[in-house]
Amino acid sequence: MITQFLPALLYVSAVIFIIGMGRRIYIWVRTPVPLNIVLTPAPKHIPGVIGRLVGELFGFHALAKADRSLWTPAWLFHFSLVLLLLGHLGGLVIPHFAQTAMGLNEKQFEHMAQIVGGAVGILAIATLLWLLIRRLILPRVRWISTFSDYFALVLLLLILATGNAMRFMGGLDIVQARNFVAGWLALHPVAPPSDPVFSIHIVLVCMLLIYIPFSKLVHIGGVALLSPTLNQRNNPREHRYVNSWDKANDNSTTSS
Amino acid sequence: MTIPQLHPDAAAKVQAHRAKKELMVSLGLAPELPADWREKALCKFDELLHQRRSLALYMDICVRCGACADKCPFFLGTGDPKNMPVARAELLRKVYRRHFTAAGRVSGHLAAGEELTDTVLNEWFTYFYQCSECRRCAEFCPFGVDTAEITMAAREIMASIGVAPKYVTEVIKKAHELGNNIGIPEAAWIDGCQFLEEELKAQTGLDIKVPVNQAGAEVLLVPPSADLFVNTDTMVGYALMFHAAGIRWTTSSYASEAGNFGLFLNYEHLKKINLRIVDSARQLGVKRLVMGECGHAWRAAQAFMNTLNGPLDFLEPPCPEHICELAARLIRAGRLKLNKSANDGLVVTYHDPCNLARGGGLMEEPREILRAVVNDFREMPANTIREKTFCCGAGGGLLTEELMETRMNGVKPRLEAFRTSGATHLATPCAICKAQFPVAFKHYAMNAQVVGVMDLLGKALVL
Repeated sequence: MITQFLPALLYVSAVIFIIGMGRRIYIWVRTPVPLNIVLTPAPKHIPGVIGRLVGELFGFHALAKADRSLWTPAWLFHFSLVLLLLGHLGGLVIPHFAQTAMGLNEKQFEHMAQIVGGAVGILAIATLLWLLIRRLILPRVRWISTFSDYFALVLLLLILATGNAMRFMGGLDIVQARNFVAGWLALHPVAPPSDPVFSIHIVLVCMLLIYIPFSKLVHIGGVALLSPTLNQRNNPREHRYVNSWDKANDNSTTSS
Repeated sequence: MTIPQLHPDAAAKVQAHRAKKELMVSLGLAPELPADWREKALCKFDELLHQRRSLALYMDICVRCGACADKCPFFLGTGDPKNMPVARAELLRKVYRRHFTAAGRVSGHLAAGEELTDTVLNEWFTYFYQCSECRRCAEFCPFGVDTAEITMAAREIMASIGVAPKYVTEVIKKAHELGNNIGIPEAAWIDGCQFLEEELKAQTGLDIKVPVNQAGAEVLLVPPSADLFVNTDTMVGYALMFHAAGIRWTTSSYASEAGNFGLFLNYEHLKKINLRIVDSARQLGVKRLVMGECGHAWRAAQAFMNTLNGPLDFLEPPCPEHICELAARLIRAGRLKLNKSANDGLVVTYHDPCNLARGGGLMEEPREILRAVVNDFREMPANTIREKTFCCGAGGGLLTEELMETRMNGVKPRLEAFRTSGATHLATPCAICKAQFPVAFKHYAMNAQVVGVMDLLGKALVL
């Protein structure tokens, strides 16, 4: 039964994720920006704006100014998530390519994955716990926290815990896992690995995929790029911004 | 400033007075709460969500990380958790989630959604008028979430269902009817300018003009109206500078106000008030438009005027220009002869008005002027100046008596930084700041004074 259920759930979740995120981003992009509301000091030219956005996207620049004790776990957590995603890609989706590209033999490759993947897995779960504890012990942050804030943290925590469990308990047959991923991607699903933790891990990931577009986790859509306070130029005097829903130039020659 | 303990509802009782029916009607707003106000409010909310990406985006993406929480002067001053920017925004967001998201419609409270009720509306009117739209929170947000955009939307929704403060609407009415916020008729403006000319003649023996409605002048100067009647030294500073530089300038009795309280209520009035200035410039046939010492006026003019009332291509760039930009330009060109020692005995620091720093990036020119006209100029701590400046506590339409408690709490972080600087004089080019600080100095028994940047320039000018 699980043979059919797990891939099917994954297909459904992936479709919901893609459509859900696409729809959200489409709504944001489609909505007009009537005025120049850039937060200054801001660049006057496009390259400067790109620099600013890169700084926000990859360095969490504003957060670094706001609170180092939040920036540190937040940046490390997001950084480790990106590494984990890349690790899944290299280890499960394109293992032969990754291995060849790195110039390693199979044994070396598995060994490297074990060490790097294990370290990053621990870093991710440690920084996530740090964020959860911060949310619980800082009175002002606890006050603003809602059910969904905790739900997202716990869900991610469980995904990381099951992932780490497979790596460190050694119950997962990596070849079975690669076959499962390859079959799923080729739309010819095969049986998942025999390790039950793998199935739990996948079900949790599906929950996350479905949850993201409908929660604050939509912020993974690179929203700093769309934020007018960050992506506009400081040039409203040199360049006339036209408000698409109020284009009419109803300036009277005189209204006195 | 140290982060206060949480005092839930500490500021819940402080509320602006509501505008009466006649006032609302005169601004084309709903006279009072209609029976179907919930539907009307949600309808307006929906309209704004379709008109402003800022609102649509900022409703969805906040992760409640709390980076903004301790950045707001009103939270630091009151300890009321609903004055944390994230919590203030959540007042609107919870209604958004309940009515405009799938998760909220399906699971309600689990998705932290909430119905729009009388209680919620009352909370909106309280806390969205305890926000000065200073945007300090946005400066520190990883996604650039701008609480001012959220506050503006909430105020716009409320105005559409007949809920607005007396103070803000009264000022807007005066601006539409008389051309200025303090409610003086055109004749009184003309008299005031003449009176000031006579004063200047008596003091200096020179014919220094304070012109009104001079068609064909090079520059139209639009000051906050308070500069002529309250902060007279600022007006004197403008007059002396134009005289010294030999620039033909004029004020307008039709647009005798730079300030634009439309920014504190809704888009329509923001646009309409700005239009008086553009009309006046066109009618007088001036070449350039210069804005006086006013913070939010600068945002309304610099960032919005070209869009709302433009194109402004009949005027020479930069249009509009800020008086501090012009003064700094004249100093650089060597067109003003200055004697710094005229301001000796004063220890001066510079307070960045929020809308100059974060709403236009005008931060260097005022400092350039002060360094040229004052011997003892010093800065407040780095995390309280420039784009990290603290609001005076009275911006955004809060400069009214009944909000005094909020104002005196909101000014605390700024005063603490000011004390650290050891300055005796706080220089700032903003009429609202200039009205707020004397009250705050008195309230906290501080021996200090607020001055305009142009006041000090005027004193240092050698004529």
